[in-house]
Amino acid sequence: MSDAKIKCSDAHICILGIETSCDETAAAVLRNGRELLSHVISSQITIHQKYGGVVPEIASREHLLHFQQVVEKAMTEAKLDYGDLDAIAVTYGPGLVGSLLVGVAGAKAIAYAAGVPLIGVNHLEAHICANFLVHPHLAFPCLALLVSGGHTHLILLRGQADYEVLGRTRDDAAGEALDKVARTLGLGYPGGPQVQKAAAAGNAAAFDFPRAMLEPGSLDFSFSGMKSAVLNTLNTARMKGLSLCVPDLAASFQQAVVDVLVRKTLLAVEQTGVKRVLLAGGVAANELLRTTLTRELKERDGRLFFPPPQLCTDNGAMVASAGYYRYLARDFAPWTLNAVPGLNLT
Amino acid sequence: MKYLAIDTTTKVSGLALAEDGRLVGEGFLHTAKTHSERLIPLLDQLLRAAGWGLRDLNFIGVVRGPGSFTGIRIGIASAQGLAAVLKLPLLGVLSLDALAWAGWGRKEEIVPILDARKNEWYAARYRWLADGRLRALSPPRAVSPAVLVRELKGMDGPFVFVGDAVEKYRDFVCRELGEQAILLPDYLGLPRGAFAAQALWRKWRENPRTRGEWVSGEGEERVAPYYIRLSEAEVNWARKHGGGGDG
Ligand SMILES: [Zn+2]
Repeated sequence: MSDAKIKCSDAHICILGIETSCDETAAAVLRNGRELLSHVISSQITIHQKYGGVVPEIASREHLLHFQQVVEKAMTEAKLDYGDLDAIAVTYGPGLVGSLLVGVAGAKAIAYAAGVPLIGVNHLEAHICANFLVHPHLAFPCLALLVSGGHTHLILLRGQADYEVLGRTRDDAAGEALDKVARTLGLGYPGGPQVQKAAAAGNAAAFDFPRAMLEPGSLDFSFSGMKSAVLNTLNTARMKGLSLCVPDLAASFQQAVVDVLVRKTLLAVEQTGVKRVLLAGGVAANELLRTTLTRELKERDGRLFFPPPQLCTDNGAMVASAGYYRYLARDFAPWTLNAVPGLNLT
Repeated sequence: MKYLAIDTTTKVSGLALAEDGRLVGEGFLHTAKTHSERLIPLLDQLLRAAGWGLRDLNFIGVVRGPGSFTGIRIGIASAQGLAAVLKLPLLGVLSLDALAWAGWGRKEEIVPILDARKNEWYAARYRWLADGRLRALSPPRAVSPAVLVRELKGMDGPFVFVGDAVEKYRDFVCRELGEQAILLPDYLGLPRGAFAAQALWRKWRENPRTRGEWVSGEGEERVAPYYIRLSEAEVNWARKHGGGGDG
């Protein structure tokens, strides 16, 4: 990072955050870690809908088609020139390698040409950092429940960028299970919001789906058994010529997913004694999960924090937020930064 | 007019700095590393060695395909990023057009072949005219080696083969076309920044605005990737639902 200009003071730090890890091309400009100057997202959801899920090659092509436009819009809305930026933060993993590479290549070129440092951001860390956009004075340690289409993690945060993964899914991610069940129920993609919508009119006690808790004390998750149970229930009914109430199925399944997420989170609270919990990731927008966790934590003198729904799904603001804290730590990436599709939290 | 040429459409990272079509500096990397890891460091070294700054550039050119899908995207995304910050025009050329410059001035037909995987090549045919112009004899396409070689057998050779598929298919082409085939070695026939720089300079002089390849610094139009092929999912979807796919 030889010639990049790095400010001596941390006042008025402007960071452009870029996110292309899955099916959203997104960019945002963030000032001083909390002042969002712009927030642009170009979603590919409608393009992937007809395939029933994200197609990697199509996602990569769409990212390239929209990347430049999204970044330029973010700069225009922020009323800034590239020369006003202090760093470029970009998601380099985990995610789809072809998609990540569009953002990484573009971000590097922008940083190099603007003469500012490049910051490589872990997508999972970015989801967690979405919370700091709205709760900048959150104290450590805290726990984070990260739930999305690709991930289900319980994480202990000892400080900024100091993580310990306490538990993770052993098979499907919670969002992935929601997607699959939604597809089978004919609710469409993406599954989380669709299941939530259908569940609103259903009875959550209509079906009793298994809640896999794994061995005692484990903070890992497993959603595949629960997902299979829903599919089996459907198949059995179909063979008997019965039609089942979709809202009841959706509500019961959603309840089962939320029950497991809540129980495991409370177990983590119990094991660590940490009572501040952050919710992060696309599934963090789920209303039932939010209200249940909020209530349960309150009963234990704890508190739940979560970002507004538009900051739960993939976006550039959360990348800029993570980038801001890396900037403060002067943790910059070399020009050789590559996409790491299987990047972990360490 | 000073400009930068970028070609990452094959396993080679090719860069060139040029002025009015004259090659000033060139970077060529054919290593195991990825474009993502090599590109900016190579550009940085090249600029330093040439004593040029990014602010000296008047435009940026990129090879926009066909070739590796990922490579095409890395090249274009990088070129766009540089052009946006520097507020420079961006220009695109095709990989096969650029490769034709490897056979500049030859009397034979030039046949660039790029590895398209799935036992296919991206290929086209060119001829250098006596007045120094390059004529495309066939449009770029994805074609099986057997089909292209069969077509060439029915035409007058010889043919000069260039491109990253030459090494892998050397024996096959020699066997099929015998003395009709001239296969240039890697050091003469792999994609290079220098070839892209020549193709770009010609395009620049031929009034790029009218060729639909131009992008202003403000960017109303973009340099479009040229994949030739649809994605697998689109092909399958079109097959299942009838019709020729919707793009
Ligand atoms: Zn995400």
